Amino acid sequence: MPIAFEKVSYTYAPGTPFAYAALKEVDLAIEMGKITAIIGPTGSGKSTLVQHLNALLLPSDGQVLVLDRIITHADKPKQLKSLRKNVGLVFQFPEYQLFEETVLKDVMFGPLNFGVSEEEAKKRALETLNVVGLDPMIASKSPLDLSGGQKRRIAIAGILAIDPKVLVLDEPTAGLDPQGSKAMMQLFTALNRKYEKTVLIVTHDMEHVLNYCDNVVVMREGKCAAHQTVKEFFNDGKLLHELDINVPNVLRFKEKMIQSGMELPEGITDIPSLAKAIAGRIKP
Amino acid sequence: MSNIALGRYIPLNSPIHKMDPRMKIIAMFFLLIAVFVPAGYPGYGVLGVFIVSVLLIAKLKLNFIFRAMKPMAFMLVFLLFINILVLRTGYVLVKLGSFTIYSDAIFQTIYITFRLALMIMITTSLTATTKPLDLTLAIEDLLAPAKRFGVPAHEIAMMISIALRFIPTLIEETERIMKAQASRGVDLKEGKFKEKIMAILSLIVPLFVSSFQRAEDLADAMEARGYVPSATRTRYKQLKRTLKDDVMLMVVVLLLAGLIAMAIFL
Repeated sequence: MPIAFEKVSYTYAPGTPFAYAALKEVDLAIEMGKITAIIGPTGSGKSTLVQHLNALLLPSDGQVLVLDRIITHADKPKQLKSLRKNVGLVFQFPEYQLFEETVLKDVMFGPLNFGVSEEEAKKRALETLNVVGLDPMIASKSPLDLSGGQKRRIAIAGILAIDPKVLVLDEPTAGLDPQGSKAMMQLFTALNRKYEKTVLIVTHDMEHVLNYCDNVVVMREGKCAAHQTVKEFFNDGKLLHELDINVPNVLRFKEKMIQSGMELPEGITDIPSLAKAIAGRIKP
Repeated sequence: MSNIALGRYIPLNSPIHKMDPRMKIIAMFFLLIAVFVPAGYPGYGVLGVFIVSVLLIAKLKLNFIFRAMKPMAFMLVFLLFINILVLRTGYVLVKLGSFTIYSDAIFQTIYITFRLALMIMITTSLTATTKPLDLTLAIEDLLAPAKRFGVPAHEIAMMISIALRFIPTLIEETERIMKAQASRGVDLKEGKFKEKIMAILSLIVPLFVSSFQRAEDLADAMEARGYVPSATRTRYKQLKRTLKDDVMLMVVVLLLAGLIAMAIFL
């Protein structure tokens, strides 16, 4: 199992009156090649959890296994750079990390830091700009002159250009309009299917979890409260209720229809197939 | 970054914490003047006893004071070095070939160390016991008489309080951007000189961009609420001067007078 947390605990500001245990003995194994959603209320340890994946935070206790590397609290910062090459972490509102004069240079910045040659970095930058759906024309513009959505795509391209095996995104759709966030989620699906990246997404949006993710990890009070496939998760009414999760509208609608006596097949998760199933039940 | 001791407010419940910030500022000024009264070591002894008792009354831990003084260690080493090279008075302490160290070089450095330590203790006794916002209120009040000469007292106080308010935000933002750039392979500690420059640039540019953005947003938000800098307004928090404050200031003034007397007559 290439990504695994073994009894990982993390405490902020240990030994002070402000000490705060953000993770408490988390045991978790992430499936490679899938899209995994990480959900949970604010302060449940989601962001702390993902920062362990490329060793921005080192576990206070326990160990993290990432692509055959074991990370413990004893690791030295020097040895961690190669790890960051394999796990790309995109922070919340990543547009604030842009700083270069041109978009191209900014996207090239990551690969250059990891020792890729100038030409190769340029080639990768142009490719990834294309992958994230940006016009190569903007490569020579200043990133600061572009719109919020474009900036975010550039920031994501900046991570993708490093060519990590695992891509971790902390609330990538926060602050985007519905079209923008839909396009963003479709981009991650494409990255997963076409480029075989393992994708982890921290999100609050259950519609996104339902429509785009394979597995779901629920964090609660610094612990992993559930880890299931998305299908199992949304069929487990008791768990959903217990975790106080906002079930997507399609599923709620389906539930109401079943309650009012309509027989519908299992496993419907999108509007078109639900509409079709209902249409098939209604006699003309 | 969150363990900087110098200039930090320590929320405790002590008589010093409860004093009127205006009086504390005035007292601090008198004490700082007292540091420069040439009353020699006996003078510093008196002043030192006074300020240490103030810190003890304020329930501050001496450990905290030492941490506040840490940043000046480098300066003192540098000063000692300069003094050894420059000062050629007193008797010879060490002689290494053509290189000699004179006693005054050492004594002078010790004297300045005392002076700096006293100054840090005095300023810490103010900043550690007074909320930053109370400090700015006090500054506004103290500057009020200067309004007649066109000094924008309220605006200055507002600027200081906004600056203070955003220090933790900026620290948080810096940490966030540092992490984001670390994910892009930036290494602030390792690497060649050119790489280090790039690393610092990758931190500073986004910080500036977001700071300007924040400043603009804040200005808009203030304007939207109808904020006019020169408007006369009442204040929620009223500063009150009590007998205790007056007594404290009297003691400080007497101390200053005593030190001046020591400097003249001893």
